[in-house]
Amino acid sequence: MDLSSILNASLIYATFRSATPIIYAALCASLTQQADILNIGTEGIMLTGAFAAVAISYTTGSWVLAIIVAMLAGLLMAAIMAVANIKYGADICAIGMGINMFAIAITKFLMTSVFGMRGTFSNPDIVAIPRVVIPGLESIPFLNEVFNGWALTEWFVIVFIVLMWFLLFKTKWGLHLRSVGQYPMAAQTAGINVTSMKYQAILISGLIGGLAGAHLSLGYSRLFTENMTNNRGFMGVAAMFFGNAHPVWTSVGCLVFGLTDSIGARLQAYGIAAQLVLMLPYIVTIVVLSISMVSKYYTKKRRQSSLLLIR
Amino acid sequence: MVENIVEMENIIKNFGLVHAVKTGNFNLRKGEIHSLIGENGAGKSTMMKLLYGMYPIDGGSIKVRGQLLENLTPKIAIENGIGMVHQEFMLVENLTVLENIILGFEPTKGSVIDFDLARKTVTKFIEQYGMNVQLNKKVHQISVGEAQRVEIIKILTRGAEVIILDEPTAVLTPQEADRLFEIMENLKNDGKSIIFISHKLNEVMKVSDRITVMRHGDYMGTVKKEDTSPSELAKMMIGREVFLDLKKEKATPGEVICQVKDLWTSGNKETSKVRGISFDVRAGEIVGLAGIDGNGQSELVEAITGLRKIEKGSVTLDGKDITNLSPKKIRENGMTHIPEDRNLRGLNRQLTIKDNLLASRIDDKKFKHHFLRKDSSILEESNNLIGEFDIRPTDPETLLSSLSGGNAQKIVVAREISTVGNLLVAAQPTRGVDIGAIESIRSIIQEQKKKGIGIILISADLEEIISLSDRIIVIHEGHISGKIDVKDANEENLGLLMMGGKDTSREGLNLEGLNE
Repeated sequence: MDLSSILNASLIYATFRSATPIIYAALCASLTQQADILNIGTEGIMLTGAFAAVAISYTTGSWVLAIIVAMLAGLLMAAIMAVANIKYGADICAIGMGINMFAIAITKFLMTSVFGMRGTFSNPDIVAIPRVVIPGLESIPFLNEVFNGWALTEWFVIVFIVLMWFLLFKTKWGLHLRSVGQYPMAAQTAGINVTSMKYQAILISGLIGGLAGAHLSLGYSRLFTENMTNNRGFMGVAAMFFGNAHPVWTSVGCLVFGLTDSIGARLQAYGIAAQLVLMLPYIVTIVVLSISMVSKYYTKKRRQSSLLLIR
Repeated sequence: MVENIVEMENIIKNFGLVHAVKTGNFNLRKGEIHSLIGENGAGKSTMMKLLYGMYPIDGGSIKVRGQLLENLTPKIAIENGIGMVHQEFMLVENLTVLENIILGFEPTKGSVIDFDLARKTVTKFIEQYGMNVQLNKKVHQISVGEAQRVEIIKILTRGAEVIILDEPTAVLTPQEADRLFEIMENLKNDGKSIIFISHKLNEVMKVSDRITVMRHGDYMGTVKKEDTSPSELAKMMIGREVFLDLKKEKATPGEVICQVKDLWTSGNKETSKVRGISFDVRAGEIVGLAGIDGNGQSELVEAITGLRKIEKGSVTLDGKDITNLSPKKIRENGMTHIPEDRNLRGLNRQLTIKDNLLASRIDDKKFKHHFLRKDSSILEESNNLIGEFDIRPTDPETLLSSLSGGNAQKIVVAREISTVGNLLVAAQPTRGVDIGAIESIRSIIQEQKKKGIGIILISADLEEIISLSDRIIVIHEGHISGKIDVKDANEENLGLLMMGGKDTSREGLNLEGLNE
């Protein structure tokens, strides 16, 4: 096996490429987590967004409109969760799983009934999110391989991570959101409308989830298949736990997933069983989650121990 | 005519079937300290939470500066100059002190919070009232006394003219409380009006201008301090005279029954880690553990009763090493335990009275038949205990969730007393129960001592510690700061030890900045 054909310059982009949809999903989950709401429905919101994006792109030929409608579709799904959870007190995990199953069913139904397709919906009329070609970069082999030809939404995710960090830790809204998540009573007595903040968190998270879906179907690929999110939403939730809902650390978690995904794809070329390779991201999910939980447990235990002085 | 800054008339508030406030009346004059007193559950905290807009009122009217306020929310209350320091501090532990103070009222520069301006504004208030706080520390790193000052600064920066203090002294030592009273006096001289909620009569007599009494949700009257006395107030509070000073049984201690040796255990906070505590308990005596909440008492109790891992040291009961045994094994060795939080550990609120009463004796031959429970004898024993401990309602099938705090606590006490043991660990046995139940629980504990059972009593209530214990051990930051025989104990020397004894310049006394 030639190691250099696995670990080379193109692996950097491959990693980032497969991580990006998960990063969007993870940021969707992080935002609600900051308000102490576990967004299990990320997967379903994302899937709905992915379908809406392809449908609109195919019918109108505009990827901008496609992204906007995908985000609105995400918003709609999130709104169902928000009302059920906040207004009617439904368990967030139950309603989230409901949203996930509903998303699989409704996208499948619409695909067959509106577009008469089964399995995969792919058509040359679907307009993808444009890829950015940086002029003059072609002449520099390494940089060209790493940076040229990224989808617009792949560049945007970097801006978006910074934006989320800024929003959460530098603005008034972010401080309010975090206080609602950590001690709602304290927020309430400070005159903050806790219910309204929770609605805002879930709804905005829906917009992000829709964007995640649009990127998946129009940026990462240019088609829609049944259940195409393929657990990326859950991996996003796992990465959110790994990064403790902090945008930067959460994204680092996603890159780890992206890395295993792309290494796995390359290993396949060397006759390593496909099933084994396909398992990789999930094994990594479990390992990463276990490590982060175990390390949190021991940090807490060490912090509480009377035998160690921490000053 | 004196101006009333707050007028609350004929307030009604129900929580489901519970009538929390039935006839709520309260008015506050500008520049006075007005105490609102009553037993637990009298509705005093609820009244003030209504004034602060935390719940909507079901009836009556609230006027501030003569203006009727409807659909009050905390935000509107704050805008009308009302600020409240809650019994449980409303501080977000993982945010800094500064972030907590400005929360909800952040000065902004563009879309960003202007932390420099915030720091400047807050520092001005800190200096004006000489309250020392560290703005950059996270809240979980500071002490209770400091957290309380942060709360006061928080409401002052929000422009509070009316300051509600909900049982502010419950978490303080007597000395710290005195400093708080000085701050209150300063605020009053500055023209602020203060509402002081308490059930400690001596404090109320010390600080108030006027006093309003509530009982079971009803308004009992408002009196001037000069025109009343503690005994009159007590009568208004409970409707009859009570004698909490029960006669102490003389101790005739026997053999050492329990020995705690150099015990170390973990704690949720730095100050609550237990670091090397040793003491003995003999049969037929009550050892009182005094200390301010959060100084390691809870952790110590959990370690002794098998609920928290002992990291170093040992506990022996009746000559047998019980260090780090399971709670069940420890109970089998003769320890009974009234846990400090009855809702968390003492009771299952979804079950019935009888299930809770006999939970610790479920394996007893008397109450089981092979693998089944023997309902007839369970019912019989339950009825006996309900009668003996005067638990109301008397139907053993009643669900616990409908019981008052006092009766729920009596069930815990009844269960632990009826379980045979030779050491009783009683943690905060009368916390949050009414005066009637306090009297009966205290006399039950006395009876146990007479029977020759060794008792460890943990209480944040100094009066309780002094009136029940034979020996008192004071705990401060996880160490024993002093052991006193009850003959020599008084609130002053215990209070001093509760703050660590010698080094009084550190905690809480930062308030002395006022005099500098």
